[in-house]
Amino acid sequence: MGAASHYLESAGIPTTGISLVREHTVQMQLPRFLWVPFALGRPFGAPNEPKFQKRVLQTALELLERSDGPVVLEDFPDDAPRTSTASENDVPWSCPITFVPPQEEQPELVSATLDEMTRLEPWYEIHIQASGQNTPPVSGLAQREIVARLGDLAEGVREPEVETDLALAEWIRLGCDDLRNWYLDASQGQPGRATSSELRHWFWLQTAAARLIASASRALVHHPDPLVKMLALRAMVPREYLPDLAPEIGEHSWRER
Amino acid sequence: MVRLAELPKVEREHLLGKACDPFDSKPWAEGPPLAQRRVALVTTAGLHRASDQAFSMFDLSYRVIPGNVRAEDLTMTHSSVHFDRTGFRVDVNLVLPIDRLRELEQEGVIGSVADFHYSLMGAGWLPHQIEPTIAELARFLRKDEVDAVCLVPV
Repeated sequence: MGAASHYLESAGIPTTGISLVREHTVQMQLPRFLWVPFALGRPFGAPNEPKFQKRVLQTALELLERSDGPVVLEDFPDDAPRTSTASENDVPWSCPITFVPPQEEQPELVSATLDEMTRLEPWYEIHIQASGQNTPPVSGLAQREIVARLGDLAEGVREPEVETDLALAEWIRLGCDDLRNWYLDASQGQPGRATSSELRHWFWLQTAAARLIASASRALVHHPDPLVKMLALRAMVPREYLPDLAPEIGEHSWRER
Repeated sequence: MVRLAELPKVEREHLLGKACDPFDSKPWAEGPPLAQRRVALVTTAGLHRASDQAFSMFDLSYRVIPGNVRAEDLTMTHSSVHFDRTGFRVDVNLVLPIDRLRELEQEGVIGSVADFHYSLMGAGWLPHQIEPTIAELARFLRKDEVDAVCLVPV
C-alpha cells in the first residue's frame, strides 16, 4: 500500500490511506495515512457496521485537506465494534455439530470432510439465502471435487486429474480458498455470533477439512514444481497453526522462497 | 482490536521482519477541498468481480472494479491465508467501502465517486516492482478526472 501511495503521489494524484501495521507506515514515511487498530483483513473495523465504517472512511478522507506534508500519520481513536459478528457475552462460540475425531489416514480424512460438509450443508444454504451472496467458487471446481483431489495430493499423487485450465499450484490454492470459505459461510448461517478468531480456530483446529489441507501441504513440500512447494510451505496453512497441523513444515520453513 | 503486540508471536515476527525502507523522495500532491474531490478506491485485497480472472500467487496485475458494482458480486483471491476473511464474506464494505463512499457523495462530504476503482493483490512482490502497474493506473485515474485516491490494505 505504501508503494501505491508513493507512486501515485509522484504522478501528481493526492492519496490518503488506511494503515493496518503502524510500524510499516512509520518506517516508510508516507503521505497521509490513518492507522486503525483493527484486525488484519478488517481495514474498516467490522462488517455490517455502516456508521462505523463511514466514520473511518471519512476520517481517512479528511486527511486529504492537510497541508503539513510530506508525511502525515494519524491514529484512529476507537477499537472496532463487537456488536455484529461477536458474542455479546463471554461464552465462546462453538459449532454445535460434533465432528469425527481427528484421523490421520487419508481415506478417513476425505470421508470425514465429506461427512462434515453434509452436516453443515443446511447452514451453508441458510447463510447464502440470508446474505444474498452467491459468487461461484473461485477455483471453478465443485466442493466435493476439491476434497477428493486434496485427498489424492495427500496420498502423494503428483498431478491429480482435474478439469481446469489453471496451473497445479493455482487450482490447489483457489480450491483451498473455496473449501475454507464454504466452511466459514456455513458456520455463519448458524445461530449465535462468533468473533473472527473463534471461526479461524474452529476451522483450523476442529475440522477434518483443515486436517486434509494440512495433510496435502505436508505431502506437497517435496513437490518438484517450485510454485507448488512454495504454496505448501507458505500459503496453505496459516503460520500460527503450523505447530498443530504441520509441525514438520515448522515456523521457519515458510521463509524459504 | 489487534495491535502488533496482540498478534501471535510468529505473525508479529513475520510482519516486523518485512523490509519497509523509505523511498528516496517524499512526493506530496494537493488538490481542492474534499467536497469538490472525485474519489477512487484502490485496494490490495485481491478483490475482483467473480467473472474476472483470479489473481495468481505472485501477481503484479490489477483488476478494474466499476463504480456501479454490486458489493455482493465481488470475490477475493488474495494468496495469503494469514488474515481474517470471515468479515469480508459477510460485508464487502469491510474491505472496499464502496457503499460508504456513495453515502459520503450523497451527503456532500466528497464531490463525486469515480467511475472506476482498482484492485491489486498485495502479497509476494517488493515495493518497487509495482511501479509500472501504478503508473498505468495513474493514467486511467487521470482520464477519470480523479483527484483523490483512498488506499486500502487488507
